[in-house]
Amino acid sequence: MKTLVRPPVIARALVLIALLAVPLVVEDQYIRHTLVVAMLYAIVAANWDVTLGFAGIFNFGHLAFFALGAYSAGMLTKKFGFPTWTGIPFAALVATIASLIVCLPVLRLKGIYVVLVTYAFSQLCYQVILNQTEYTGGTFGLVLVPPLEVFGYSFRSAGNIPYYYLALALLVVSTVYLHFVIRSNLGRSIIALRDNEAYAISRGVALARQRFLTFGASAIFTGAAGGLYAQYLRTASPDMFGFAFVTFTLAMLLLGGIGTMWGPIIGAFVFTFISEAMIDLKEWRWLIIGTLIVVVLRFFPAGLLSLVEQIGERLGRRLQPAAPVPAPERPGSG
Amino acid sequence: MADVLVVENVVKTFGALRAVDGVSLSVREGEVFGVAGPNGSGKSTLFNIITGIPFHADSGRILFDGTPIERMPPHAICRAGIARTFQTETDFETLSLFDNVKLGTVYGHARGMSEEEQRRVTRETLEFVGLGGDHDRPAGDISVFDKKRLMIASALATKPRLLLLDEPASGLTRPEIRETSALIRRLSETGVTIVLIEHVLPLLLTVSNRLMVLNFGQVLTEGHPKEVVKNEQVIEAYLGKRGDHGRDAA
Ligand SMILES: Nc1ncnc2c1ncn2[C@@H]1O[C@H](COP(=O)(O)OP(=O)(O)OP(=O)(O)O)[C@@H](O)[C@H]1O
Ligand SMILES: [Mg+2]
Repeated sequence: MKTLVRPPVIARALVLIALLAVPLVVEDQYIRHTLVVAMLYAIVAANWDVTLGFAGIFNFGHLAFFALGAYSAGMLTKKFGFPTWTGIPFAALVATIASLIVCLPVLRLKGIYVVLVTYAFSQLCYQVILNQTEYTGGTFGLVLVPPLEVFGYSFRSAGNIPYYYLALALLVVSTVYLHFVIRSNLGRSIIALRDNEAYAISRGVALARQRFLTFGASAIFTGAAGGLYAQYLRTASPDMFGFAFVTFTLAMLLLGGIGTMWGPIIGAFVFTFISEAMIDLKEWRWLIIGTLIVVVLRFFPAGLLSLVEQIGERLGRRLQPAAPVPAPERPGSG
Repeated sequence: MADVLVVENVVKTFGALRAVDGVSLSVREGEVFGVAGPNGSGKSTLFNIITGIPFHADSGRILFDGTPIERMPPHAICRAGIARTFQTETDFETLSLFDNVKLGTVYGHARGMSEEEQRRVTRETLEFVGLGGDHDRPAGDISVFDKKRLMIASALATKPRLLLLDEPASGLTRPEIRETSALIRRLSETGVTIVLIEHVLPLLLTVSNRLMVLNFGQVLTEGHPKEVVKNEQVIEAYLGKRGDHGRDAA
């Protein structure tokens, strides 16, 4: 059973403050870069959770929204010469339109067929991108994407610190947005459809309309993250449609806790750093990551978020006797 | 009084089985219309084809307030003003009691209320069915009786003109059945028209204004409850086998 667990306000505030402070205290460019990547992954994973976790739709085309965001931002600003600030909003728009298109066949399908159709959509986009070499760079990818520049100020200055804060801002806005989406009537109806589709329809919920809204809602920030990714790394590569990306993000979702607000975000950070730490291990990395997933899901099927909770509860219990209020008698507690 | 619901010669087959085989009925505004019949006689299937969940009738006509609804999408049927409960306990298990009920206020017949009104109606509806206390509990965690009442509350929250109740008393203890019986009467007093499927006969007889008996997907008889239970065919088809239900549920 999934509930809407979340870490206490204090924990969330501390993490935000820490993230805000990183560029001020940490000189290391590499750590900053890894954090930017983790934050972008967190956005993608948390928004994927809207369809995969909260709606229970096996949408395996989500990473295509991210990739399309990257390509559309890159193409618009590089090939068509639009000002760079248009890249991210355009990426969000294209991803959202793409999500509504994928939603069409999904309306009539269930279970495994949804996996097939959504993944096929992603492969279709991949083929189109490969073929349109003139615009997309084909197999080499789109390179030399113009970096973001606003009023003549380049986001690459000061060792990419502006990009860091932009990614953080996008993560915060996306998280607040998801918080409201999930708690809104739309969010409740999405969960209701997952829990019992026929019952939800019998209460007046229009399945098709809610499905479109669900897909659209999950794509906006995913596309925006893709746009930012392209402008930050200055490339968009066809690998972004590959299965490795999907597995990677899926692992974050499952490890963090699917169907929760904070699980995918925690999963993204933990997972990005673990995999960066093991980069020298080459192929062994995947073996270790795979083992880790199996172990975590074996002992904490609800993901790392539930582990964090359990630790929190245990700490809370241990701290209790020290509180000024007389603690209730607990024989044999330890 | 006017007929809220008119069903004309509806048929629903599953392969060779004619689960509902040419049933016609009409339900008058404000009454409690009882439906009885042995297991497998097609009662629930009748509710299914009226509401389109999960399927429509193969043939026949269904008029709600004079409008044909036999091909209307199921969510639109709810929005038109028909809400049902299900025979087995059905809920949104991960949503709170409050959100289970609120969904109906948002998307049902009375949709378009402000957020505040939705919350007020939700609270009132939960209290109306007798679900006090903590409304933030997940619906998956509550007792069978509470689940049955929650399902009625979620139907009521849509503000239906016609309420279809499928065995609201099955699986309940005697005191719970008495409470359910009182709840149905209170419901009826609010003016909503009710069609009630029930195996617990004393309940059905006390609350129904008219009673229809189905057998093998066909209408066996229909009329005043007291008369219907005296009908020879009914006794043979239904009471003969199910009389025990009547005794233990007084
Ligand atoms: N979806 C279905 N697929 C196949 N057969 C079905 C389906 N639904 C119902 N039936 C069959 O149709 C017949 C009527 O079923 P229905 O559920 O309407 O009976 P009922 O009068 O509600 O019985 P009960 O008192 O047991 O609830 C039964 O023989 C049942 O097995
Ligand atoms: Mg039945």
